[in-house]
Amino acid sequence: MEGASYQRFPKVKIRELKDDYAKFELRETDASVANALRRVMIAEVPTIAIDLVEIEVNSSVLNDEFIAHRLGLIPLTSERAMSMRFSRDCDACDGDGQCEFCSVEFHLRAKCINDQTLDVTSKDLYSSDHTVVPVDFSDTSSGFENPEDQRGITIVKLRKGQELRLRAIARKGIGKDHAKWSPAATVTFMYEPEIHINEEMMETLSLEEKTSVVESSPTKVFGINPHTQQVEVVDPEAYTYDDEVLKKVEAMGKPGLVEIYAKEDSFIFTVESTGAVKASQLVLNAIEVLKQKLDAVRLSEDTVEADDQFGELGAHMRGG
Amino acid sequence: MNAPDRYERFVVPEGTKKVSYERDTKIINAASFTIEREDHTIGNIVRMQLHRDGNVLFAGYKLPHPLQYKIIVRVHTSSQSSPMQAYNLAINDLDKELDHLKAAFEAEVARVSGEY
Repeated sequence: MEGASYQRFPKVKIRELKDDYAKFELRETDASVANALRRVMIAEVPTIAIDLVEIEVNSSVLNDEFIAHRLGLIPLTSERAMSMRFSRDCDACDGDGQCEFCSVEFHLRAKCINDQTLDVTSKDLYSSDHTVVPVDFSDTSSGFENPEDQRGITIVKLRKGQELRLRAIARKGIGKDHAKWSPAATVTFMYEPEIHINEEMMETLSLEEKTSVVESSPTKVFGINPHTQQVEVVDPEAYTYDDEVLKKVEAMGKPGLVEIYAKEDSFIFTVESTGAVKASQLVLNAIEVLKQKLDAVRLSEDTVEADDQFGELGAHMRGG
Repeated sequence: MNAPDRYERFVVPEGTKKVSYERDTKIINAASFTIEREDHTIGNIVRMQLHRDGNVLFAGYKLPHPLQYKIIVRVHTSSQSSPMQAYNLAINDLDKELDHLKAAFEAEVARVSGEY
């Protein structure tokens, strides 16, 4: 029994990688692992977000709690989050959560003095830690023609004479606690489809029939080769498992003309990050967090010992 | 007003064990593991990994109630193994799988970022 192992060796292939986006293939593992990774990325990879707001002056049109909520939702760069402490188990500050090991302080001061409306944005937040700042989208090609137009995330707009002054504390947290701590905008995976066309049967079809098969799919999965006039798979991943083609083929009285299977050990992931951590780092952090979780559910020594004792006793009582 | 605190979902209360083990009183080589503050993420991967073990006759998990933040994993093995042995093996295998996955992903990131 010793030395037995049922370990798998998953394969990864990255198709596309940007700071806030990743698309990759994961093979030779099962849906439980793929789904665990997805769930961890969304709800359990830590980031830093504003958690406590002390408002000094607020004469804006938005009430205090409304502004506090908006501040909480601003993504902050969180490369440090994995190594940072949660305030609840920080022993340096007895749980008030305001020390340098578990928190970052922000200040915001804005007052509108002229007739033009003043936009208070994430750029107006001053951080006590240069590694934890509001996410900056301006260097990415985000579609702003003029860099001047790009001024961060709007928090509130001020009219002449209105003022906003506050202090905010950002802390480490996870998406399970509140969605503001989730580093993921979207994480999805799909089974890789395997599409078979019965060529012989397809040859018996007229061009109109072939076209109707191709057009029965709501997404562009199939196409007709202009030279050979054969039905071909153009993009298998466009298939949404809608069964429309299979129904069409069935209705034509040609079952088996097209067959589609989901490969059960092959997944295509798309990961979009909020910008708090890079998409590639998000995946790596998720693997690390999942490893830590598994480590935490190992049986403790005393559980094993207690069982050894009572186990023998139990065997004895069973008449062993 | 009387909603449970959000941290209740992932902070193990003091004096409570993360994992407790209970043998079945009637069936040999059957046991339940109660895992505090875990959900489908852990439950499902452990269950599926246990299914890969030929000595495991039954493995299943349940989340008894959405407001009780624990899962129960039940394992039944053949006489060649024991629930505890199978459980430890499953966790070790998953841990090694994730080590491999991490190394594979890091190598891919290095390859892709080297291309640009």
